[in-house]
Amino acid sequence: MKYLPLIWSGLRRKPGRTILIFLQVCVAFALFGVLQGLKTGVEHLISEARADLLLVHGRLSLMDSLPLGLLERIRSVPGVKAVIPVELSGGIYQTPTQKVGIVAIRPDDGWLAAFTFEVAPEHIAALQKIRTGALVREALTKKYGWKIGDRIPLMSSTTQMNGSTDWAFDVVGTYKDSDIGGGSDTILVNFAYFDEARLAGKGTVSHFNVAISDPKLAVTVADEIDRRFANSSNETRTESLRELAQSQMQSIGDLNFLIRAIVGAVLVALLFATATMMMQSTRERTPELAVLKTLGFTNRAVFVFILAEAAAVCIAAAACGLALALLAFPFASRFVPGLSMPIVVVVVGLACAALVALISASVPAVLAARLKIATALASR
Amino acid sequence: MKFTRQFLAILRVNLSGVTQRMGSVLTIIIGVTCAVGVLVSMLAMGAGARQQEMGNVRADAVVLNTAGAQFGQGNISRDEAAAILDLPGIRRDANGEPVVVFQSIVPIEGRRRVTGNRIFFPLIGITPNVTRDRPEIHFTRGRMFQQGLHELIASNPCTRQFTGFEIGDRSPIHGSDWTIVGHFEQGQAQQCVVYADVDSLMSIFSRNTYSSVTVMLRSPAHFDAFRNGVMANPRLHLDVRHESEALEDAFKQLNAILSFVSLFVGTIMAIAATLGAVNSLYAIVDSRRRELATLRAIGFGSGAIVISILCESILLALPGALLGSALAWVFFNGLSASPFGYTFQLAVTPSLAVLGIVWALGMGLVGGLLPALRAARIPVTTALRAT
Repeated sequence: MKYLPLIWSGLRRKPGRTILIFLQVCVAFALFGVLQGLKTGVEHLISEARADLLLVHGRLSLMDSLPLGLLERIRSVPGVKAVIPVELSGGIYQTPTQKVGIVAIRPDDGWLAAFTFEVAPEHIAALQKIRTGALVREALTKKYGWKIGDRIPLMSSTTQMNGSTDWAFDVVGTYKDSDIGGGSDTILVNFAYFDEARLAGKGTVSHFNVAISDPKLAVTVADEIDRRFANSSNETRTESLRELAQSQMQSIGDLNFLIRAIVGAVLVALLFATATMMMQSTRERTPELAVLKTLGFTNRAVFVFILAEAAAVCIAAAACGLALALLAFPFASRFVPGLSMPIVVVVVGLACAALVALISASVPAVLAARLKIATALASR
Repeated sequence: MKFTRQFLAILRVNLSGVTQRMGSVLTIIIGVTCAVGVLVSMLAMGAGARQQEMGNVRADAVVLNTAGAQFGQGNISRDEAAAILDLPGIRRDANGEPVVVFQSIVPIEGRRRVTGNRIFFPLIGITPNVTRDRPEIHFTRGRMFQQGLHELIASNPCTRQFTGFEIGDRSPIHGSDWTIVGHFEQGQAQQCVVYADVDSLMSIFSRNTYSSVTVMLRSPAHFDAFRNGVMANPRLHLDVRHESEALEDAFKQLNAILSFVSLFVGTIMAIAATLGAVNSLYAIVDSRRRELATLRAIGFGSGAIVISILCESILLALPGALLGSALAWVFFNGLSASPFGYTFQLAVTPSLAVLGIVWALGMGLVGGLLPALRAARIPVTTALRAT
């Protein structure tokens, strides 16, 4: 405890220098915090994705279509609770930059179990009743000011029977989506209406959503579904939402490597900066340190005192930087939803800061500890 | 004249002392190296992606897509296709046939050679005239696919990145076996692309619409005439765009994300490096108080001192910039990356290196400003009297 005033006065000796090094460490760890937050955010998203919700799509790719007729055969697989056909299309609202995804589903009883959506019961009833009805993601209603009862015109890449690409849907309700893709601008419409009205691709779907009775059976059920269609002209691949999220994130790919490389570069630069500063400041204080020793401070006390000084600056600055990163999260979450800074990141960050401080201050601290009083005072 | 002479003299003194202040100097150089290295490597992703997208763009090529559809995801019916052939301004080949390439795109998933990770690449059904109209496509092994057969040709990056693309390899697509019969090189593009006969592909996928259509004009000047032709035809609901425009649009989002992330990280690292430089330069100036005061006492102007210190700061930042760019080039140039599922090679281009150097000069300038002003304001008498 008695060292505290000493450390404080050591830091105040050149306030400009201390502030600069503090800012440098602070900025570096703000970057560290944002990047690590990104990484853990992505990992968190994957672990949050539902493992008990299966998607059956063509073996070749997600974009390959499957015939609607597979539905009954999928339903007959033991453990399957509900199978809902899903057809994806894209549209634009008014101008080409305002893209709206069209998701055509069949709102059979129990369909909600096969999705990550939250919909009020009366809205489901309305969608089941009105063929041209659409459920709009809540955020999207605010974006374009749509209200229940509005008729929204969309231009779609899907052509209608009459050759037109202009579609219109009646807003009958809203929904929320808890999945990682939940941030997109999409509307849910009736598959029956969509399929009947379109010119091409009738009777095909993008994929089937499958709800299963027991989450533990996910792998077994998925394997069984794929086995049934093996070697047919419609081979399938069945994946849980979590597996899909994993492979999507894998394709973001070299993210981990990138983050590690940047953080490495930051820490190396920091190490050099703090090391030179500590060297410089210890050298300048040689006489003062000698006086301390004359007063009875042991070599060891001086050693600890120099290390503590570096650690105090670095750790305080790192904490400040991580706090800054936390402030930046609401902004960054526009790009990656679900950014978070779990306690692990904070601990690792502070540990890194301490490590940088200890390594950079070790040489000056050893020199200070070995200082001979007579020579140090004589050199004045 | 006097100013210049003074300035050069001080600069020489400044630089001659560099070896005695190795610590501070290294801090500046390494800080700048890290900042520039990271910035250049990250921007190299965007540059690589761009090089690849735009590498094969032709001024006389026009891309047609269903109005409102995303790039390559249109639905162009056979009726529309037939109408397109009659439009004005289309180039004719030796037999008088219009040069129009119809495409149908099916994304296929592959497995990475090294990691086994899943990645998507496009299987593009095309009309076989493509090799004649796209001179950048040339075969390195094997031959062109034959019309009506289940044959595939793959670009060379496929065999480098994925398994299952050697000549003679068969892959089951929608219940029938397709054989790889040729490998081709496609100019700048490093993306894996697989071509097949468009009619065979569409028939097994029971599709009856094309995803997109590429039209070769007689000359780039025929664009307006061609577009007016499309607009005038009520049966055609199509977007008409120059190939460059269509590609630019398709990759706008990817490019925006890449450059935003690069500049964001680059700026933060630059701020940190600048702070480090300020600190080091303060230390350098402090350690030379007497020397600088002496210079002032014997008649050197404070302007010359300010400029010389700024110059020193910039000169110390420069090696960092060169080193950073060089490291980025050594480690990352040509490395293939696939963020966002789209594979391209990082390209550390000269213009990026120049940007890195400008970035470093900025850091040197900003970092040197305050220390230089302090150096010029050192009170001569106290500095000389001090021990």
